[in-house]
Amino acid sequence: MGTLAAGLLLASPGRDASAQTAPELPPVPKECGGEGRIYGVPLPNSAVALQQRKKLKIVAIGASSTAVLGGRASRPPLLEQLLEKTIKGLDVEIVNRGFSGELAEAAGERIKLEVALNHPDIILWQVGTNDALAHVPVENFRLSVSNTVRWLKAHNVDVILVGLHYMKQLVKDPYYQGIRKSLGDIATGENVLRIGRYEAMEILDRTAAASGQPEQEAFGLSEEGYNCMAQYIARNITVGLYAKRTTKPPVAPN
Amino acid sequence: MPRDANAVDFWRGFALVTIFINHVPGLWYEKLTHRNFSISDSAELFVFLAGWSLGLLVVRGDKRFDTARLVARLGGRAITIYAAQILITSLAIALLAGTAYVTGNLLVLEWHNAAAVFQEPELTHIGLVLLTHQLGYFDILPLYVVLMVLGPGLALVDRFARPMLVPASLAIYLAAQITPFTAPTWPVPGQWFFNPFAWQFIFVLGFALSRDEGLGHIVRRNIERIRYIAWPIVAMTSLMVLFNWFPDPTKMPEPRLLFLNGKSFLTPIRVVQFLALAAVFSAAYVFIRRIPWLPEFLSILGRNSLNVFCVGSLLSLSGQIIRFLYTGSFVVDTIVVVSGIGLLWLTAWISEWRMRQSG
Repeated sequence: MGTLAAGLLLASPGRDASAQTAPELPPVPKECGGEGRIYGVPLPNSAVALQQRKKLKIVAIGASSTAVLGGRASRPPLLEQLLEKTIKGLDVEIVNRGFSGELAEAAGERIKLEVALNHPDIILWQVGTNDALAHVPVENFRLSVSNTVRWLKAHNVDVILVGLHYMKQLVKDPYYQGIRKSLGDIATGENVLRIGRYEAMEILDRTAAASGQPEQEAFGLSEEGYNCMAQYIARNITVGLYAKRTTKPPVAPN
Repeated sequence: MPRDANAVDFWRGFALVTIFINHVPGLWYEKLTHRNFSISDSAELFVFLAGWSLGLLVVRGDKRFDTARLVARLGGRAITIYAAQILITSLAIALLAGTAYVTGNLLVLEWHNAAAVFQEPELTHIGLVLLTHQLGYFDILPLYVVLMVLGPGLALVDRFARPMLVPASLAIYLAAQITPFTAPTWPVPGQWFFNPFAWQFIFVLGFALSRDEGLGHIVRRNIERIRYIAWPIVAMTSLMVLFNWFPDPTKMPEPRLLFLNGKSFLTPIRVVQFLALAAVFSAAYVFIRRIPWLPEFLSILGRNSLNVFCVGSLLSLSGQIIRFLYTGSFVVDTIVVVSGIGLLWLTAWISEWRMRQSG
């Protein structure tokens, strides 16, 4: 739990969930890369929801919801199960609004409607890959995402950005890397949580290569990979719920 | 012999070309399509004209067919569209899988809601057949299938209880907005991109307005007066789109969908704006038909809309793959658009050539 303890910014007594004792997190399986990165970015609005209602409503936006929520498409998302198991008494509702192929600009407009209609505590936004595939100019992408993130913050909705995939073929693609960097910069500048899927996949890929194992597919394109992703997000949400509010941006998750 | 160019086929062809362009996100030519200055887009036009065409078919059927034959004919049309959806979805999955195989880039397998097809094929294939699992940009035909399945019922209501048609459709539409409800997706939980309970309304409006009696008659008699109201609506909503003058959706009163701009639920602002746009542009064809080749070019696409739509959907996906592989640039985009529209025309031409061959 060393990495987690470092990531958790356990709070002094206050009015948010950080005043409560953070629950013990189950270890992340080795095949998912162990503890992984815990950013410790607070989710202040969700913390209030946890304390007042013991309920968390998450709206998932983006291309491939299965890839982010974990489990099989036909069953309740693994992310929901993990959060409810970790935080006793918490009722998690996940509303899946992932329309595929949607670019950040269009998704941004739809997110506003979903906030108005579903009143979520968290928007889990898988963003960047479609824009990268469609070659949207990086500056347009940056503006679309940052405007939406600011709008969500102004409307007291926490946002978690789920970043781009890691693909060996795209490591040296300057455009793909530009979109990736842009998303990282937005997360840092706006002090919002970004799940670094790319980095996690890259580490697993390197570890596998170094040990002479076949390439792993964690965090993408296999049920096991999707489950790793869900565990990774669940840990970050749990930490974020009990993390102390900070005004300082976290370490850039690049 | 195929019919001569006319306004309905022309606008249907126009809708097909703009759907093809809009379904290649990031394409430079996308900014030239009318959705950049209109709240409604080519999807509304396509569904409205599908209803209009059904209305014309039923009118012709009135003269030639008894009720049973008319219902059987419309049911057969629904089956044809369903078969087309299954075929193009299979081809799209193969296109994605083929691209992933050739390039070695597995990311492509997650594109357009295809991940579940490869991750959980048993259930997802059932979903594809039931139309409860839809690939991104392959989601208009499932709506069209549902609407055409309703076609025989629509024809029966039209034949025996015509005054009930639009009010009943409006009641379902408003219930879908107020409750709100829609069709669910499965096995991936979610909802249809095109809510059939909402979109049926514009289909029925197209059907009703195509007729010379009832609502269609009233509108035809008063079209000049209607255009006086329509022009300011079109102008005002264009400014709203251009300058993003939409109110904060969280500040709207309940039931919110009645006051928001949402495509999935075809919210009232989209219906009103589309009808205004249709009223204004219904005057345009008399001028357009004087332009050399353009009316015939788009009309041949409109006359063969199902074949053109199917090929267009696959060309859009191919266009996305090409842009991904060769990097979207003005030159690549121009090649994609010019060759794509050319192939749409070729599809329509071959369709009519085959009809001529079979007599």
